[in-house]
Amino acid sequence: MATAILEQFINGAMMGSIYVLMALGMVLIYGVMHVLNFAHGVLFMVGGYMAHLYFFNLTGSYPLAILCSMASLALIGMVLERLIFRQLRDNLRMQIVASLGLILIIQNGVVQLWGPHALQMRPASVDALVRVGQLSFTVQHFVIIGVVALAVTVLYLFLTRTRLGTAMRATSQHPEAAVVVGIDPNRVYTLTFMIACALAGLGGALLGPLFLIFPQMGDAPMLKALSAIIIGGMGSVPGAIVGGLGIGILESLSTLVIPTDYRDTIVFGALILMLLVRPWGIFGVRVRGEH
Amino acid sequence: MRRLTIPAALAAALCAQAAYAQEETVTIGIVTAETGPLAAPGKFQMNGFNLAVETINEQGGFEVDGTTYKLELQVYDTRCNAAEGASAMQRLATVDQVPIVLGELCSPVAAAEAPIAQDMQVPLIITVPTASNLTEQDNPYFFRINAHNGQLNRALADYVQTIDAEPLAFIAWNNDAGRGGVNGMQALLPEDYEIGYVGYFNVGEVDFSNHVTNIRNSGAKSVMLLMDEEPGALAIRQLRDAGLDVQLIGTLAMGSNRFLDRLNADYLNGMVQYNSFPPNAPLERIKAFSDAYSAKFGEESHGFAAQSYDAVFAAVEAMKAAGTTTDGAAVRDALAELSFEGVIGPISFDEQGQASPPVYMTEWCEGGDRKVIFPAEMVADCGAG
Repeated sequence: MATAILEQFINGAMMGSIYVLMALGMVLIYGVMHVLNFAHGVLFMVGGYMAHLYFFNLTGSYPLAILCSMASLALIGMVLERLIFRQLRDNLRMQIVASLGLILIIQNGVVQLWGPHALQMRPASVDALVRVGQLSFTVQHFVIIGVVALAVTVLYLFLTRTRLGTAMRATSQHPEAAVVVGIDPNRVYTLTFMIACALAGLGGALLGPLFLIFPQMGDAPMLKALSAIIIGGMGSVPGAIVGGLGIGILESLSTLVIPTDYRDTIVFGALILMLLVRPWGIFGVRVRGEH
Repeated sequence: MRRLTIPAALAAALCAQAAYAQEETVTIGIVTAETGPLAAPGKFQMNGFNLAVETINEQGGFEVDGTTYKLELQVYDTRCNAAEGASAMQRLATVDQVPIVLGELCSPVAAAEAPIAQDMQVPLIITVPTASNLTEQDNPYFFRINAHNGQLNRALADYVQTIDAEPLAFIAWNNDAGRGGVNGMQALLPEDYEIGYVGYFNVGEVDFSNHVTNIRNSGAKSVMLLMDEEPGALAIRQLRDAGLDVQLIGTLAMGSNRFLDRLNADYLNGMVQYNSFPPNAPLERIKAFSDAYSAKFGEESHGFAAQSYDAVFAAVEAMKAAGTTTDGAAVRDALAELSFEGVIGPISFDEQGQASPPVYMTEWCEGGDRKVIFPAEMVADCGAG
């Protein structure tokens, strides 16, 4: 049983790392712009397709393909923010509807461009195996965990040690006061969307090669990330990290004792329990009068 | 004289128009998944339909009651969604007024379409869904050209008992097809046959690591994968990468060169799968279809395409026998009596609308070829599966 727990813990940490990337992107957008971007899952998927495109057609190098994919997604994020979300800024509901519409547009656009068949991408890290006792994992499992840890560290340093990061936090905490001290909110919103989309791109570029790259690959991670940010606390960066990792490990370990098809039940059961017991999440702040 | 000439000219024009109208077009309804998670198998289905229509039209069409017809398809994308399937079926019957509808990929969607076919008296021939109970509903307008789970499982159960596969593990889709397949297989195996593990996954899931751990814990000697090509390739890769040395047993989706391209010969060597259409089998009907398919689409033919191809010919034969291209009830009656030699084998429908095409077992060879290993009379060497 110890072997099975270790195997599932590593698998859970790997998937949890992907949820962390997704959750961080959604938290940044929610924290700064107060919008739940439901299209984050399809942006994650586009990250996988972009990595495939760069890997096979332009760079031939997986690390370069990841970076190019992140850059492309940042660009896409900038365009989406300026063309859609900025125009709808005063209407929260319309922003949510727009993000739902983007899911269909982007998914069907990808099917038109790349076809309905799933794509494969096999960098060396996916084919190479690591033995851990009697267990065997692909190197990509540990690449994902390591790269996400690095990305989280860089993001933390950016948010806490740079002027732009400070501007983002200031806008998130009090937009009007941020304007008073000379912060341009439009610039912050665009930057936030770019970083969030780049993180989604990173997630897609990391996970796509391990499994498959296909139009629905971001659907489940998006739902899990949404659960992670609610469990962790809406708008909380540490909450997104703990929530994402926690959900990944919880759903993996739970399958050792319950049927695998009930693992989503465990995740969403935990979500409902958290909403009942502590609706503001692990790291969230309770707001008086908020239900 | 002038008064006589004008009516004569009109009559001549009408006659000419009537002669011209002797070649007309009949539109057949298609329900399939062109987008969504099952878009890939949907493409094989559409390839089969399109190839059949092209073949029939290139041969000059078909004649019904003295009129030659060419075929057209009215295609609706149901996205493997029951509500969209029901809506498409309704539209085909009422707006498009087609005499017959073909296709569908997903058993739950086919179940939603079937009552509409009956209410609107438009026969529906499904070409891929395998849930056994679909053709147990006493619906006279519902037909299935492909083998259902019960028929497929029979061949598989017979074969599994001839090898050292106990305890047996399952990984299956968490839907009618997957659960029906597992239940059907368990019912066909002896009561004391040891089942090590049964795990289900939802359409679109790609991480099978939980199943891998549970199968390792169960000590299973063989794993049956009741799923399609894409998840099948993922499951096999993850089982093999995790170091599990088990006998792999798969479905017809896993017996193609396309499947080999997703993995490699090392991953697949020794794996067996049932198949309703071994594309390289040494049979003339299969060879002719496979050659035509490869020439048109540049890839190895597929069972879903062959089944769908045969469904178009079944529809045409039924319309010819019924003497109508508009009366769905008459076409249904003709379908019920139909008997012809299709690409997948002899086709006729029982009183529940179910055909009984032959089922094969194939095995992957070391070099990436396949061989037919079941039934005994069809056994053939590597390269013929």
